[in-house]
Amino acid sequence: MISPGATAPDFTLADHLGRKVRLSDFRGRHHVCLLFYPLDWTPT
Amino acid sequence: MEALLPRFRDANTQVLGVSVDSVYSHANWARDLGGISFPLLSDFEPKGAMAKSLGVYLDGPGITDRATIVIDSAGVVRHASSVGPGGQRGIDDLAALCAQSDREARTPVVPFSKPAGLASDAVLYVKSRCGFSRAVLLARDNLHLAAKLPVRNVTEDAAARSELVRVSGKEQAPCLVVGGAAKLESAEIIAVLRDAALGSLV
Repeated sequence: MISPGATAPDFTLADHLGRKVRLSDFRGRHHVCLLFYPLDWTPT
Repeated sequence: MEALLPRFRDANTQVLGVSVDSVYSHANWARDLGGISFPLLSDFEPKGAMAKSLGVYLDGPGITDRATIVIDSAGVVRHASSVGPGGQRGIDDLAALCAQSDREARTPVVPFSKPAGLASDAVLYVKSRCGFSRAVLLARDNLHLAAKLPVRNVTEDAAARSELVRVSGKEQAPCLVVGGAAKLESAEIIAVLRDAALGSLV
């Protein structure tokens, strides 16, 4: 797993509303909290 | 998670859910959850590529670990942990951690945008057995707009069909009419509903 202090690699993924979400779009604006979960219909 | 979102917003933090499921699976799951106000990202094709880049993909089962990664607004990882795929994440503790991280980060942030809201005269016209109509209806439910946005089915209701033709000039649906103006592209309709309900992401 990536370690604290490392720079996160950029990504672009589609969300459940079909919108493209890019990590670098948040740069200088918001922090980001990524919640990975194994599969839909399991708790987040 | 949904109930605690304001605490993450107060910490200038955008929550993003991630799994290897498709956009369609995410949309249906979001509906089963009663709608959600943060994005569920689809790390679907190539499968798990983003999770792999952060070292949280589990090769054997082909799923992502139940991992949590907090990234500050400078793009630097502030926290990374996992409770294992079958574990349970403590969202309350996580909200506290994000608040602390926000205080310590001192990287630039801007306030979240406010939702635009939906005009009270907005009407959504849909057709039966139409995938685009279904997608727009799903987005409406997932954005908690079911009570605010009336739906008229032009396949089943002749009066609705004449009304649609009068307003938009054609029988095409889905069609969102706001203030007399018609939007006919489903992606565009979903974008309008999203901005109305949630505001823009950045």
